[in-house]
Amino acid sequence: MSKQDHAALADAFNKDESRVDWHDQTLWFVREKRDKAVNKVPEWEWLRETASQIKNNVLSNLSEYLTQFEAQAVQNGVVVHWAADANEHNEIVYGLLKKHGVDRMVKSKSMLTEECHLNEFLAEKGVDVVDTDLGERVVQLAGEPPSHIVLPCIHKKKEEIGEIFHEHLGTPAGNADPQFLTHAARLHLREKFLTRKAALTGVNFAVAETGEFVVCTNEGNADMGAHLADIHIACMGIEKLIPERKHLGVFLRLLTRSATGQPVTTYSSHFKKPRPGQEMHIVLVDNGRSTQLGKKDFRNSLKCIRCAACFNTCPVYRRSGGHSYHTAVAGPIGSILSPNLDMKKYADLPFASTLCGSCSNVCPVKIDIHDQLYKWRQVIVQEGYAPVAKKLMMKTMTWVLSHPSVYHTAGKAGRWFMLNTPFTVNNGLNPWWKGREMPEAPRESFGQWYKRNRK
Amino acid sequence: MRVGLFIPCYVDQMYPQVGIATLHLLEKYGCEVEYPADQTCCGQPMANSGFEHLTQGCNDLFIKNFSEFEYIVCPSGSCTLHIKDHLHGGDGIRKKIYELVEFLTDVLKVESLDASFPHKVGLHQSCHGQRGLKMSQMTELVAPPFSKPEKLLKMVKGIELIELTRKDECCGFGGTFCVAEEAVSVKMGKDRVADHIHHGAEYITGADMSCLMHLEGILRRQKSPIRVKHIAEILDSKG
Amino acid sequence: MSSKDKILTAVKASQPEQRELPPLEPPTEGRPADPAKQFVEVLEAIGGRAYIVSGWERIGMILKEAYTADKRVVSGCAGLGFMMESIDDPHSLENVELAVLEGHFGVAENGACWITEDRMMERALPFIAQNLALVIHKKDIVPTMYEAYQRIADAEYGFGTFIAGPSKTADIEQSLVLGAHGPRSMTVFLIDEGMSDAGFY
Repeated sequence: MSKQDHAALADAFNKDESRVDWHDQTLWFVREKRDKAVNKVPEWEWLRETASQIKNNVLSNLSEYLTQFEAQAVQNGVVVHWAADANEHNEIVYGLLKKHGVDRMVKSKSMLTEECHLNEFLAEKGVDVVDTDLGERVVQLAGEPPSHIVLPCIHKKKEEIGEIFHEHLGTPAGNADPQFLTHAARLHLREKFLTRKAALTGVNFAVAETGEFVVCTNEGNADMGAHLADIHIACMGIEKLIPERKHLGVFLRLLTRSATGQPVTTYSSHFKKPRPGQEMHIVLVDNGRSTQLGKKDFRNSLKCIRCAACFNTCPVYRRSGGHSYHTAVAGPIGSILSPNLDMKKYADLPFASTLCGSCSNVCPVKIDIHDQLYKWRQVIVQEGYAPVAKKLMMKTMTWVLSHPSVYHTAGKAGRWFMLNTPFTVNNGLNPWWKGREMPEAPRESFGQWYKRNRK
Repeated sequence: MRVGLFIPCYVDQMYPQVGIATLHLLEKYGCEVEYPADQTCCGQPMANSGFEHLTQGCNDLFIKNFSEFEYIVCPSGSCTLHIKDHLHGGDGIRKKIYELVEFLTDVLKVESLDASFPHKVGLHQSCHGQRGLKMSQMTELVAPPFSKPEKLLKMVKGIELIELTRKDECCGFGGTFCVAEEAVSVKMGKDRVADHIHHGAEYITGADMSCLMHLEGILRRQKSPIRVKHIAEILDSKG
Repeated sequence: MSSKDKILTAVKASQPEQRELPPLEPPTEGRPADPAKQFVEVLEAIGGRAYIVSGWERIGMILKEAYTADKRVVSGCAGLGFMMESIDDPHSLENVELAVLEGHFGVAENGACWITEDRMMERALPFIAQNLALVIHKKDIVPTMYEAYQRIADAEYGFGTFIAGPSKTADIEQSLVLGAHGPRSMTVFLIDEGMSDAGFY
C-alpha cells in the first residue's frame, strides 16, 4: 500500500465540497455528451458487441498477430523493438535518442509512457521532454501526473491553469480565459514542434495485417510532432493490436463517442511508412500484459481502448479525483489493471467502488469491469492483503450469520446488527455516524413479529 | 403457490415493517407464504469485501432454509442478485429466487393494485436491482426504456412520481464501501438526496432498504422532512 | 532469450482458446437518408464549414475573396493550378495561412475526410497550416466508417488520415477552443457537378 490509500486521498479531496461538486459536474457533462452521441447511432449496442468479439479474437491470437505485425512493419521500413518491462522500454527510447544525439523531444499523449515513468527516467538522463497535449503540458508544468487518461488536467480550474501559464509561459497574471490560454500554449508549443528532432507518440490501434498504426488526437499534436521530426518513436502496449485494417471501422466509431461525445477525433492518422529521410520506430511493450492475459478472470481488461468512459460515469471517480488512485491509469479500468502490476501497492483500488456497474455498461468493448473489481477483492484477500481488523470482523460476522441461534440472541440483545455490522465497525471513530444518523432500532425484529402474528 | 420469504438480515433487524409489507403483498395476491425462522443473511457483506470464501456457512444455511419452496421472494435487489450470482451449491435456488418487484410484475403479473399514497415520490434505482437484475432500463445503453418499479408505482392511487436529473446514479451505499470510503459514500448520498429535494420529493422510495437506510441517515442528519419508504410499504399503503 | 522471444512465448502460453472474428456489416436501420446533408450538418456541429459548389472555378473565387495576396496559400490541387508551389522542408510551412488539398471521400456520420500523403504535398501540411480546406466530390460521401474502410480497402499509402473539423481542445475546464496546434478553421468544398449555380450552406 502506498503512503495513503484511495480512501484517505479521497477523504482529503472531499475537504473542499464545492470543488468536488465542480469536478463531479464537469465530468458528468462529459458523460452526458457521450450519451447524446451514442444515442445518435441506432446500432450502438451491436457495435459494442462486435468490438468485444474482435478483441476476444485478438487476445486468442495475440502472439500470431504480434509476429505478423512486426513482419509487416519491418517490410514498411519501420524498426520494431520489444520491451519486456517498463525499464527496457525506457532504455530503448533513451538509446534511440542517444544514438541520434538528441536531448530534447516532443511527446504526444501516451499513457504507456506514464505507466513506464518515461519522463522521469529521461529527465535523469538529461533529456528534456515536452508533453504537447495541452492538458498534459499543463500538468507537466504543474509537476503533477495526469488525473484522467483523456482529459489530463480536468482536476484543474482555469484560474489555476492561468497561474501556471503566468509562471511558466509569461502570460499576464489573472488571465484565465480558456481561449487565450490555449492560444498561448499554441505559440509556446509551435516553437517546440519546429525545433525538436525527435517525437514520441502513443498508439491507439496497430493493424497486424498491414503493419500500420493509428494515432487519434483532437489537437493535432501527434502529427505536428511526428511529421516535423527526423525520428518518430511510437510506443504501444502489445494489446493494442487489431487483426485487419477494416476493423478500424468498428473501433473508430466507438472510441471518441465514448470518450468525449464527438463523432470521431479531429485526426485519425494512419502511420505506415516513415517519410523519406525519416526514421520510424515502434516499441512493443509487455510490462505485465502477458501475465494479465494468463488470468482467466482478468484478461478481458486487456480489451481496453483507453476511452475513459468508465472514468466519466464512475460516481466514485467523479467525487474522488484521479490522483486518489495513485496510479497512471485511474478510474474503474485502472482499478482492475493496476493490481496486476503491483498487488500490494494497489490492493486498495478494487475496493474504491460501490460495484454499481455503470462502468461495464458504458465500456465500448464490454469489459466486465465491476465483476472484475469483485473478483480482484477475492484475490487480494486470499493473497493476504486485507487489513487484520477487517479479517477479524468478517470472521465474526460470518460466524454469527452462519448460526441462526447466535444471530437471534445477538439480535435480541439490543440489535446486535447495529453494533457489529460493517456499517458501524471501527468503534470510536464510527465512520457511519460522521456524515449520517444511525437507523432507529425497532422494538422487535421481523422474525419476532412473524412468530407472534403468523405462527 | 408456495413462496419462501427471504428477509435480509438488516431488514429483519432494523426495518421489520418492510418485511411485513412484503408479506401482506404476497398474501394479497394469493401466495402461500412461509418465513423460515432460521434464516440470517445471504453472505453479501462478506463476499463484496473479498471474503466470499468465508460464506459457505451462509450458503449452506440458505439452501437448507429455502430448497423446498417453489419460489423464493426477497424485498431486496441486492441480496437477490448476490444469491443469483454467487450462491454455491444451489443451482435450483438461483433460478427460483426473485426480488419482490420483479416477482409482482413477472410472475404474479400484477396489473392493478389496491393502494393509495397521495404524495410526491422519487424513485431511487438501486444499482444491483437495476443493472444486475435489469429491473429498469439503464441510461448507459441505447435500448428502449422500461421500469418494473415505476410500472407498479403508477398503479398506486394519488402518487406523483417525480423526475430526477440523474435517473440512475448510485447512492454510494455499496456495502462496506459506506464505511471504508466514508467521505465519497456520504458525498454520493448527499448528491442523490439533493437531486430528489430539487425535484420536490416528499418521499424517496426504492427496492433496496440498504440504499434507503444510507439516504435516510443523510436526510435525518440534514433534519430534512423528506422520508424514505421501501417500495413494498408504498404498494401496501392505504394512504 | 531475447525480449521478443520472451514476450511471444509468454503470450502464447497465456492466450485463451481461439475465438472467431464477427461479421462487420452493420445494421442500417434508422440511418439518415441523405449522406451529404448529414455530412454538412455534422461538419458544422464539430466546428467545420461546408460549401457545396459547382466546380473548381467557384472554389477559386471563394478563396480569393477570403485570402488576400499577402497571405501564403499552398495548394496541392490540380484544379487550382495557379496556387501550386513545391516544398523542400516541412518546417518552411510554418507561415502557411491556407492549405487547399483534395481528399478522397467524406464520411457522413462524423464529418471526416480521408486524405493520403500523395495528396498532401508534405505530411505536415494539413496540420501546420493556419487554415485548411479540403475538396471532395459530393458523390463521394459514404454513410459510416464501415463503408469508409470498404472504400480504402487495401489501398497503398505511407501515411493517411481522417480529418474532421479544425484542430481543437477542451482540456481547460471542458471549454471548447478551436485551433489547438493545427488549423483554426477547416472548410470542405463539396463539388456537385450537377449544380448550375453555387449555393452554399
